[in-house]
Amino acid sequence: MTMTDPRNLDDTELDTLFGAARAQAPQASAALLARVAADADAVLADRTAPAPARPGWLAQIVGGLGGWPSLAGLAAASVAGVFIGFAAPSAVETASGGYIAGDGYDVADFLPSYTDALGDS
Amino acid sequence: MPFDAFSEVPDEALLIAFANGDRASAEALTLRLTPKVMGFAVRMLGDRAEAEDVAQEAMLRLWRIAADWRQGEAQVTTWLYRVTSNLCTDRLRKRRGVGLDTIAEPEDGRPGAAHGLLEQARASALEAALADLPDRQREAVVLRHLDELGNPEIAEIMDISVEAVESLTARGKRALARALAGRRAELGYDDD
Repeated sequence: MTMTDPRNLDDTELDTLFGAARAQAPQASAALLARVAADADAVLADRTAPAPARPGWLAQIVGGLGGWPSLAGLAAASVAGVFIGFAAPSAVETASGGYIAGDGYDVADFLPSYTDALGDS
Repeated sequence: MPFDAFSEVPDEALLIAFANGDRASAEALTLRLTPKVMGFAVRMLGDRAEAEDVAQEAMLRLWRIAADWRQGEAQVTTWLYRVTSNLCTDRLRKRRGVGLDTIAEPEDGRPGAAHGLLEQARASALEAALADLPDRQREAVVLRHLDELGNPEIAEIMDISVEAVESLTARGKRALARALAGRRAELGYDDD
């Protein structure tokens, strides 16, 4: 056998090789086909599933306040507030410095006076 | 199973039927398109497991786009080959950072009763030589000579001009002819 440079394959010879490779194309396994079909089902299921229902207005308000448990606390506090307003027990009177049921008060009572403000500057 | 019933139905019609909720169309498309995508990906990547991941991902993208598919704009197969091509290119790029040793050897053609030993040897020799081509040349040659697509379609898949496709396939074929010259004997070409 002589060791001259081997002749390159010509087009016909290459075409035969392409033909052989085409005949032995890699196959898709049954497992792959099953996964692909399952993906299709999943995409279809996602698309046809009903959108999650929006909660009603009451549920939205309750949710905003922290759910039903917090609402119980809120209700208790409201009832206590109403009771205190009506009954004006003396303990509250003492704590509030007579503002609630005493001689009455004005908005100005809660504001710093002008002289205080000037004195600070 | 009645998949034969779909053999005359174009890919696009099946895709639209799937988008409208028809599971049987999805099964028909799965059987029709997955092998194409798989074959292309195996030849691009030279690794079966990776090619399966790519094929599944490409098909998943097809399922997801089905509802928004714009009729008549592109062929389903062209779109799918293009997606597969991009997925393969991404993987090939990532591999460059990895040592060559970690890349699986291209698989030999599986032995099949219908194919003689010579046919097998020819197929494996070609696959091995293909694996050594630059990525773009390999892609063009595979699409042209193994998937038997036309140059305009390949141009669309690879996002290049038809002339560029012709140039890539010509260079690829010349490189293959050179690379395989030394294996004439085992390819059964020493008779003349």
